[in-house]
Amino acid sequence: MTEFNELSRQFQISDLKEQRADLHFFHASKEHAVAVLTSLKEKYGYTHLVFFTVVDHLEKNEFHLTYMLHNYEKHHDMGVVVKIARENVQMESIHHLWPAAATYQQEIREMYGVEFPGSPGLYENFALEGWEDIPPMRRDFDTKEYSDKTYYPRPGRESHDPREYMKENLYPGEAETW
Amino acid sequence: MSLKDIIAPFSVWKRALEKPYTNRKPIETRPGADRYRGFHQNAIDQCIGCGTCEEICQNNAIDLVPLEGKTSSHGDSGLRPKIDYGRCCWCALCVDICPTGSLGMSNEYIWITTDPEDFRFIPGGESKPWDDRAEGYRRAEGYDLLEAERVEMPMLSFEESQKSFIEMVQGYSKEQAMEEADRCVACGICIATCPAHMDVPAYIEAIRNDDMGEGLKIVYNANPLPASCGRVCSHACEYVCAMKHKGEAISIRWLKRYIIDQIYLGDYKEILKSADESNGKKIAVIGSGPGGLSAAYYLRLLGYEITVFDANEKAGGMLRYGIPEYRLPYEQVDKDVEYIRQLGVTINQDLKIGVDRDFKSLYDEYDAIFFSTGLKDPYGLEIAGEDLPGVQSGLDILDEVTKGKTPDIGKSVVVVGGGNVAMDAARTSRRYGAEVTILYRRREVDMPADEEEIHESQGEGCKLVTQAIPLRVEKGDSTRLKLFFGMAEMVDQGEGQRPKPVLIEGSEEVIECDSVITAIGQEADYSFIPEEIGKNLVFNRGMVQINEFRQTGDSKIFAGGDIANRKRDAISAIADGHSAAKGIDIYLTNFKEK
Amino acid sequence: MVKEKENSKFPPLVDGKSQYDLTSGKYLRVWQGPQHPGITGNMSLELTICGDEIIDCKTHVGYLHRGFEKLMERRKYIQCFPVVCRICVPEPDFNEYLFAACTEELAGIQIPERAEWIRTLNLEMARLTSFLMWIGGQAGSFGMGTIGQWTVTLRDYMLDLFEELTGGRIYHMYMLPGGVRADFPPGWINKLLDTLKTVEKTLDDVELAMMHNAVFKMRAKGLGIITPDMVDKYGITGPNARAAGVARDIRKDSPYLVYDKLDFEIVTGTKSDAYGRCEVRIKEMYQSIDLIRQIVEKMPKEGPFFTKLPNVLHWRIPAGHTYKRAECTRGEYGFYVQSDGSDKPRRTYVRGPSYTHAVALMEHLAIRTNIADTAGLMVSLHTYPPEIER
Ligand SMILES: Cc1cc2nc3c(=O)[nH]c(=O)nc-3n(C[C@H](O)[C@H](O)[C@H](O)COP(=O)(O)OP(=O)(O)OC[C@H]3O[C@@H](n4cnc5c(N)ncnc54)[C@H](O)[C@@H]3O)c2cc1C
Ligand code: SF4
Ligand code: SF4
Repeated sequence: MTEFNELSRQFQISDLKEQRADLHFFHASKEHAVAVLTSLKEKYGYTHLVFFTVVDHLEKNEFHLTYMLHNYEKHHDMGVVVKIARENVQMESIHHLWPAAATYQQEIREMYGVEFPGSPGLYENFALEGWEDIPPMRRDFDTKEYSDKTYYPRPGRESHDPREYMKENLYPGEAETW
Repeated sequence: MSLKDIIAPFSVWKRALEKPYTNRKPIETRPGADRYRGFHQNAIDQCIGCGTCEEICQNNAIDLVPLEGKTSSHGDSGLRPKIDYGRCCWCALCVDICPTGSLGMSNEYIWITTDPEDFRFIPGGESKPWDDRAEGYRRAEGYDLLEAERVEMPMLSFEESQKSFIEMVQGYSKEQAMEEADRCVACGICIATCPAHMDVPAYIEAIRNDDMGEGLKIVYNANPLPASCGRVCSHACEYVCAMKHKGEAISIRWLKRYIIDQIYLGDYKEILKSADESNGKKIAVIGSGPGGLSAAYYLRLLGYEITVFDANEKAGGMLRYGIPEYRLPYEQVDKDVEYIRQLGVTINQDLKIGVDRDFKSLYDEYDAIFFSTGLKDPYGLEIAGEDLPGVQSGLDILDEVTKGKTPDIGKSVVVVGGGNVAMDAARTSRRYGAEVTILYRRREVDMPADEEEIHESQGEGCKLVTQAIPLRVEKGDSTRLKLFFGMAEMVDQGEGQRPKPVLIEGSEEVIECDSVITAIGQEADYSFIPEEIGKNLVFNRGMVQINEFRQTGDSKIFAGGDIANRKRDAISAIADGHSAAKGIDIYLTNFKEK
Repeated sequence: MVKEKENSKFPPLVDGKSQYDLTSGKYLRVWQGPQHPGITGNMSLELTICGDEIIDCKTHVGYLHRGFEKLMERRKYIQCFPVVCRICVPEPDFNEYLFAACTEELAGIQIPERAEWIRTLNLEMARLTSFLMWIGGQAGSFGMGTIGQWTVTLRDYMLDLFEELTGGRIYHMYMLPGGVRADFPPGWINKLLDTLKTVEKTLDDVELAMMHNAVFKMRAKGLGIITPDMVDKYGITGPNARAAGVARDIRKDSPYLVYDKLDFEIVTGTKSDAYGRCEVRIKEMYQSIDLIRQIVEKMPKEGPFFTKLPNVLHWRIPAGHTYKRAECTRGEYGFYVQSDGSDKPRRTYVRGPSYTHAVALMEHLAIRTNIADTAGLMVSLHTYPPEIER
């Protein structure tokens, strides 16, 4: 892949993976990521910021910032993945490359707690209002627990496990219990 | 701006003359489309309460609840799905997955009541106006989320199989086992039916996870003879499998075998629980069949010192001396037995209680006794000529074969009986080159032998004559014997009774053969129990009476296996052994000291 | 944007943002929405006005945040299938298709050819249906409610067809990993073709009554102009971009399903103002009608429509990630799915086109428009809030 090979001479990038002929992923270091994105946009025709999001790998204590860029000439997508540690996360903003990126960054700050210094409207609410819990898209935020305590489950529901129920009814004796 | 832009809009005034889209009052209720996903319908007698619908519902809308008039029975949990329409999103995944096909949806979408509780009900269990509606969502032909057919088991062809004692069923490969394990819906309906209540879904899951160690542990929790059971178990579980309602049951037995086949005996120790520290109490086990071995294993785990006594040269009971090698190779019985031995169970072979050692001495020396001595005296045909040379019992032939002798059966054989012993004797005879005819009193559907056994015996060239009643045996002319038999007709015995074969007066046919092999059942021999102890035990129609802990009339004596349960298969004997182990433990820790 | 008047009474613009002091008493802050007929769906605009002109616009979303992406983390793949359609209410099918397509790609599943045709048909029907609803909003926001009623009725006829095919009017839950859930019901195709005729006839009327309407023209022309150079900056796709002459259409550029077997041209315009965008959309409605007819004509008449999946209760998908996109009525709809090898997706990210159109772009375009035109402007961007916040 030419773009990757050329970029890798200048920047810390790795793990190129072809998902489809028209979709490649690679990893970029946190320090070089924005420069890589700039190059892709300015030099290689990846002018369309398709989306920008985060994947939480809690077990590895990593956030994978995922930038998806599209080249309209070649009809090719490039997914740039930046692994960063989950604590006190800061990342360089890319709103100067794409004004629309500010919205993505605003949402990511709210949902994952990643900071993008300088990004317009970063601290304004996006979808949430008056949220005080941890950023809700983080994997350690338990939606089930949240919904149990926030909404009131209607009482009166009870289910039975067929195997337990059959045991109670068909072979309840201690002699059969193991 | 052109004139057209001012005039054009007026052209649509023509619409004023067209039929309006609006509905006239009174508004008629518009029925949902034929496929509409409306309120559920459940054919309540077809549903088995497996809970697969509950499992797939992503909204947690389904609860499985008891329903008036439904009780738990084999193959039916007695529970039925209750749907909370405050949560249901009408996705119909529950309908798609339902293995029995009982669940569907009507096209009804209008239903008003003021009580929110009304929107939680048991479809089909609480009558609703749409219950009998023909329209509504059903899983379409050509779309299915479950696989109805099992993965085919590689087997020797009949041509091959009848030539030798090589194991016929060759076992699943990893891919096949995983594919078969994938079919399971993990409802657990089968657990109640398995006499040993093995946690079938759990070990099948272990296969899916390719975690054989975990699988082995789960299996041994309830069954210490899995290499044997994985081959010859009567698999009652498969008859109640939820998937059987859709097509073929999960191959539960062969999946169990798959797990066992993946692990060397030498590795068992590291995986399985080791025995507790010895507690100094001693138990005698008489009989090293599945019942005896199972009791020995579980008691040993609890720390008891176990001595097993068996009259045969090798351990295993009927697994070894009854079931032929092409179904259950001896080294598989060895694998099961060896592990139990390695755990520290002493097995004394060639030692017949009542002959080589008397029962009373065991009674006095040991803290408790468990006996599972099996049925070894075959029933006779009770017809003339029965004692002619050439008339022999199936058990004897199978026993001889195990002991490495060539049975004297000649070139043609008639096997009398319709159970597994008959099938085994017949197929064993085929392997010695004999022409085999099986005579059975009733119809083929009435045969107690497993379906597959009947199928395979015929595949191997055994001829089946049904509704045939043996009349007498005579010396033959060109062959050793002549067997005369009459034909029977099935006479209805009224509701709930099986029809009885009654000899058609005057019908008589004859087969010339070298051997007549009887396999119409066997009974126990209790002569080893001395009168003074035996008087405390209760027998009923040849069976020892026991309580749920398999305790006999003498509180120190426990019994199980074929002599004590009507199922008369290996897994029931194993379950008996396990329960007895529990019983003995409770008895010795709680009651005896007092 | 409206031309800068001399001696403007408006505050100066720096980088497209008005510089003003709200406490000066010259300006008023008003909220449009979240309950406002002129707002597409549940979102709101926080407008700062000077007289009746907007000098600042801030969009607010979140009234519809249901956290679907998060919910999917706790659901098995098959259980996500009934969830995804809800991400976009008026055009749910793209979610179904894209989620299924991502799952299939990651699992290495090939669906039967006929399923691809049926899916394409379904997607084009979805586009047409969604456009019909959009006309309702567009006409209504400029005071032409009658036209809206015609097309919303037509949408209902389309929904009848969906109901008969899929069993649901709004949430079809029809395209699932492996293919589609059922074949066409008997007689359905004919009913579809008849409905298309009705739609076509009404569309002709809409052209006359709306597109050739002097009032509409006066209000829509020049409103909210998108220039080609804004397209990539704001991530603009679909008719909003095509109206500016940017000939991009995923169906043509990166054909998915059976689009490479269909005959069509990318519809473009010359100027992306509210009017120009309407023109493109109406042409695309005719295009969809034509495509549906082509599909009915060319598709295999029988054959399987579903590939057997592994048992969906235990289905684990090999680790990996992918992104798939499709051309919905508003532009690029996309799904990014990452699997960690378990039975539940680690991450599902939904890229709805309104994400960029309704927020950054809307805030930019609203400035210096008349407050009476805000609704018309917003609808002309064709945005659906549920896909923004998901
Ligand atoms: C031909 C045949 C085929 C079968 N096929 C199947 C099958 O496919 N699947 C299935 O599940 N079941 C099958 N069975 C039944 C199954 O083998 C028995 O149900 C099971 O073995 C019963 O176990 P048990 O412990 O009760 O006794 P047994 O297995 O009969 O063992 C009793 C043991 O006690 C010993 N013993 C008896 N008396 C004394 C004494 N006085 N002193 C010392 N030792 C003594 C015997 O030597 C024997 O080893 C088959 C049985 C036969 C005969
Ligand atoms: S899946 Fe079907 S059979 Fe099982 S409980 Fe539900 S409705 Fe009954
Ligand atoms: S239709 Fe869907 S949501 Fe409703 S009970 Fe069935 S699986 Fe659950």
